[in-house]
Amino acid sequence: MIPLAHYLILSGILFSIGLAGVLIRKNIIVVFMCLEMMLTAANVALVAFSRAQGTAGVPVYDAQVLSLFITGIAAAEVAIGLALIVAMFRARRTVESTALNSLKD
Amino acid sequence: MFESSLCQILFYVLAAVAVLCAIGVVAYRNPVNSAMCMAMSFAMVAAIFFGMGAQFLGIVQLIVYAGAILVLFLFVVMMLDIHDERSSSNYVHAAVGVLVAGFFAGLVINVSLGLPGATDTPCPAKTLCSSFGELLIGDARTVSAAPASAAQYGGALPELNAAAAARLENPAISEADAAKATSISDVKLLGKCLYTHYNIAFVILSFALLSGTVGAVALARKIRKD
Repeated sequence: MIPLAHYLILSGILFSIGLAGVLIRKNIIVVFMCLEMMLTAANVALVAFSRAQGTAGVPVYDAQVLSLFITGIAAAEVAIGLALIVAMFRARRTVESTALNSLKD
Repeated sequence: MFESSLCQILFYVLAAVAVLCAIGVVAYRNPVNSAMCMAMSFAMVAAIFFGMGAQFLGIVQLIVYAGAILVLFLFVVMMLDIHDERSSSNYVHAAVGVLVAGFFAGLVINVSLGLPGATDTPCPAKTLCSSFGELLIGDARTVSAAPASAAQYGGALPELNAAAAARLENPAISEADAAKATSISDVKLLGKCLYTHYNIAFVILSFALLSGTVGAVALARKIRKD
């Protein structure tokens, strides 16, 4: 069987790619996609832990319930965030994060 | 043995595709391409969930992430008529991002490989080759898997035990019936946990979703000046 460590490494790599995207990209929609990817990486780690910590071959379902909650909250967050992006586009005609500099100038 | 190592190879292939698609999300300039790569990556993660025996979460991942959230993203991208990101020659910015992410990835990999028992399992590629050898030359060698004990929790995941799950699901079941169980009913056990221990949290989650929808409508509608 595949060791827990490999699942955790996959989760860590997915999380870091999401982190790099959040830091590098300027298009807020793509930044948002990268945030979703980071949440998915957390889900992978949780499900792997639920298998690894199970007693007598039964997974710990608390971890999977937590993962389900993460998915639900992510759905709510996407709805709100995309509405905010639409509102921002209405106000500034752009979705680049560099355009949000009214406190700087 | 041959089938199980094939499943292991499948995990590594799926993981590689998921990581490549995740890189595609960051690398493509066009947001539509990014969204498609994101869907592909999430579908691969769903397949990995299936492989881990978390069928319900795999389906949720497919329906919610690769279905609903992707459609929402594509809808907004097409509604807003966004042009490609202007090629900003800010390489310092990109280098800092890659450096921070690389540092984090190295940290996680180091910690994961340092878990007790993490490096005990034989490399699956090697296992597959030896299984091929078994098929070809009929050698009865068996590759010993790492013992799944509590102290070695970083090692191989313990095998799913259908009989124990059946006993947990229905404590009154007889030993003979429990032994007859062939697969774990993932959804039943998950639902049992969700609707007993986490019932209040589940209700709060539904309120969060409701307020999310109402808030999205309130934020995105046109504000009339009268």
